[in-house]
Amino acid sequence: MSAVQAISPMVGSPGPLGRVWRYRELLRELIVRNLKVKYQRSLLGFVWTFLNPLLTVGILVLVFSHVVRIPLPDYWAFVLSGYFVWNCVLQTLNTGTYIFAEHSRLTRSVAFPSEILVFGAAGSRLLELVAEIMLILVLLVAFHHHQVPSSFALLPVLLVIQVLLVIGLALPIATLSVFYYDVHHALPIALTTLFYLSPVFYPADMVPQAARPFYFLNPIAGLLTLYQEVLYAGRMPSATLLFGMIAAAFLVYFIGYAIFNRYASVFPEIV
Amino acid sequence: MPSSTATPAFSPRSSDRTVETAVELRGVSKRFYYYEHRTTSLREWFIRRILQRPLNVRRTEFTLRSLDLMVRRGEAVALIGSNGSGKSTALRLIAGIYRASSGRVTTFGRLTAVIELGAGFHPELTGADNVALYAAVLGLGRRELKARYDEVVDFAQLREFMDTPLKYYSSGMEARLAFAVAVCLHPDILLLDEVLAVGDQAFRERCLARLRAYHERGGTLILVSHEVDQIRELCSRAVWLDRGEMRMDGEVDRVLAAYRAEDPVARRGAP
Repeated sequence: MSAVQAISPMVGSPGPLGRVWRYRELLRELIVRNLKVKYQRSLLGFVWTFLNPLLTVGILVLVFSHVVRIPLPDYWAFVLSGYFVWNCVLQTLNTGTYIFAEHSRLTRSVAFPSEILVFGAAGSRLLELVAEIMLILVLLVAFHHHQVPSSFALLPVLLVIQVLLVIGLALPIATLSVFYYDVHHALPIALTTLFYLSPVFYPADMVPQAARPFYFLNPIAGLLTLYQEVLYAGRMPSATLLFGMIAAAFLVYFIGYAIFNRYASVFPEIV
Repeated sequence: MPSSTATPAFSPRSSDRTVETAVELRGVSKRFYYYEHRTTSLREWFIRRILQRPLNVRRTEFTLRSLDLMVRRGEAVALIGSNGSGKSTALRLIAGIYRASSGRVTTFGRLTAVIELGAGFHPELTGADNVALYAAVLGLGRRELKARYDEVVDFAQLREFMDTPLKYYSSGMEARLAFAVAVCLHPDILLLDEVLAVGDQAFRERCLARLRAYHERGGTLILVSHEVDQIRELCSRAVWLDRGEMRMDGEVDRVLAAYRAEDPVARRGAP
């Protein structure tokens, strides 16, 4: 059918990035709103955001250096380098399960590209991660490296990889959640599994050689390894890993976006 | 069925006719799929796909059937009809929130739709923050908003409450603020869905005055309302929708008279 199309005044526009760029003002407002709502009435504010995962890091360090021993020098620095990133990924993906339901009134009454909600959630969480990483850098330089490794300069690249990866995973999760409530129940299980299958509290090179190709099919594993190389080891990651992850991030992003795009036009009728 | 009489591609800038046109609907139909539960579950999917058994959760229904409507620039049109006649659906199609099942929707110029007042509002944020957020949702940038902020605040008459979180507002105050943002955007086309019944008498008077001024300056207005006085006051043309089909289109008093003569509820004097 040729005439099956509505030319909408606001939404119909170029590719995925162009659409978000046109709505950058809204994106910024959403990010500001998310942070304001979270922090404005809290006295300790960001301290909680940092303290919570730090406590988990403490427990992981306690267990895996005194009960199950993972033989790494300054094991605490290793866990610190990966856990906060993992925590950020986990929380952003979780947001995907309720973000469209939470904004159903908005989706039903204004024509705007709804993926911007996912971008907003990922953006505000990422800004928090940047602040967390600043603190981690201070700790690492003071107690682990005793100098500033040049690999730290690679951090912006890692953050970009992470944005693409997380949005590329969160969009299909959010899309699926609109149609199937099961996602709410399934995602926590999936994420717990992913936690053990990702190098959060153990380094990826402890994984048996034979299993590595499968192990790294999980893009989070590659992402965490990148962070651990740059932050903990203080050295440039291998080109294979770096460029492989850049390619993987773009791939995940575009596939995730395509899945979202396929169904986005009916959201206002369903949410 | 949509009239597929090979309508030539309607290009926005080709003929003089388009200069006059603000909104055009050609053979627009909207079909909804109803789910027993709005969100299907994996269980249902399993029954349908794996067991190949029919599952009677879905039925389709036409909400709009082959609607043709042309609104010229500077016109003020009221959509009337009983509940479920498709007025809001038509408005959402014009706004680009819904995509037509078939047919063509074309709009010319900047469009603002107020389907639900304050749909982007967040209770924890202050009035000023919410104005910024809602304006961004409706497509207004921060710089543009800055130029109109005073106009919004003065129109809402809430200057002393702008730093108060929205949750301490009365519902009337909240509606006033939302309405003020919407009308201060100066769109070319303004769609209003039963949102004129907000605030106290004085505020309603000012809204009406404001909309009259907007109309006199050449703005296009499409209004869904059940209040005959408002319709008469603002609109010169009315379109009567009845179970998804157009019953009558013409001069406002004639259409209202015909509608009230038929509709038993309207005849009782409270249309």
